[in-house]
Amino acid sequence: MPSISNLLLPAVLFFVLGIFTRVIKSDLRFPPDLAKILSIYLLMAIGLHGGNALAKADLFIALNSVMWAFILGFTLPIIGYLILLATRKVGLLDAAAISAHYGSVSAGTFLTAIAYLDNAGIKYEDYPLIMLAIMESPAIVVGLLLAAKARRTIAARKSKAASHGDEKLALTNSDNVDNEEASFTSLLHDAFTNGSVVILLGSMVIGAISLPSGMEKLFPFVDDIFMGVLCLFLFEMGNVAGKRLGDLRQVGIVLALFGIVMPLIGGVLGVYIGLNILDFSVGGATLVAVLAASASYIAVPPAMRLAIPEANPSYYLTLSLGITFPFNVIVGIPLFHKLAQLNAI
Amino acid sequence: MNRLYPEKLLNIITIDALEEKLVESFRKYGASGYTILRAQGEGSSGVRSDMTGFDANIMIKVIIPPERLTAMLDSLERKINKGHHLTVFIVDVEVLSPEKFNARMR
Repeated sequence: MPSISNLLLPAVLFFVLGIFTRVIKSDLRFPPDLAKILSIYLLMAIGLHGGNALAKADLFIALNSVMWAFILGFTLPIIGYLILLATRKVGLLDAAAISAHYGSVSAGTFLTAIAYLDNAGIKYEDYPLIMLAIMESPAIVVGLLLAAKARRTIAARKSKAASHGDEKLALTNSDNVDNEEASFTSLLHDAFTNGSVVILLGSMVIGAISLPSGMEKLFPFVDDIFMGVLCLFLFEMGNVAGKRLGDLRQVGIVLALFGIVMPLIGGVLGVYIGLNILDFSVGGATLVAVLAASASYIAVPPAMRLAIPEANPSYYLTLSLGITFPFNVIVGIPLFHKLAQLNAI
Repeated sequence: MNRLYPEKLLNIITIDALEEKLVESFRKYGASGYTILRAQGEGSSGVRSDMTGFDANIMIKVIIPPERLTAMLDSLERKINKGHHLTVFIVDVEVLSPEKFNARMR
């Protein structure tokens, strides 16, 4: 059983231990900002490593991967939005905020998938790493556009319901629209200059242009301690995810199911794109599937708090962190690997 | 003998993503300075106790001359009307050296 071999990875076991500490109500508390510090290291290390490998990459395949990263990043939130609306469990703005999370990616899940493939001795391409960097941002933009459309729909409904002739209301509405358009450009800027995007892309460039002798000295930092740091990071994230599990009742069974169905849809799309369009190996296609299946819990939540303040944060945080992240780490990664194996034959 | 002068202390609890925008408005509406603390707690919009560092709450304290307070509060109210979650309250305080609080930020 592949799912059992995945569970026996130290990194995944620490994730489960993190959840368990919450279940037994342990007094374990991580110091403030630890996960943030560890994630800066992880992105930097994987960026340096990948950039170094990508220096010898084929430009055509790299550009093709970038293009498909954009396509996935723009399409997945729209699929998610339509499914959420069909469930009739959330409002338009909540649906926009949640679907933005599902179009974006989780670096933690991606790194766990790399640990899984390394452990199983499966080779994979380095191109999915560029896709990881690209896919952070487009979904945020789609989320904003969906929210802007949702606000217009809601305003239209309201003005239909209210008696006409209320000019004062109309005036304040147009004021709001002006403010939002002004902040839309700044949110666009934020989406593409997001901290994790800058660390990842910057480290990839440094890894690609550095002298080989200089990179060699970095290997203890970049390679040797990487898995240990990943364990520590997943330990804390398991703890955080465990806390979110307690909010499950708040989101309800239908939304919780969305947190599992949506990564399955993304994973299937990812396997197909990875194998048949980008022509990757089974390992590479598994990574593309993990990218398409994962939901952001680092970059997107603060962006959505700012851009769609009307949406309820406990919906999107519980779904992405409490359901989809554990699902992908424990079940999704071996499942997508199996799927890629079956389709590669 | 020390002389104490009445001033208003504005307290805001909100998400750290709003920090830059709020600081901008403090400058615009003539606050003399501000202090930001990391915060956690719980309210009508759920628990806010993220200690991972990705998604935290902040508490901002600003002493602002009473005549500049109304414009500042109007701007905060506009943010709340847009849907942002801000907890805002005012406390009467007494300060030493009032000229410090009348000077604008550099």
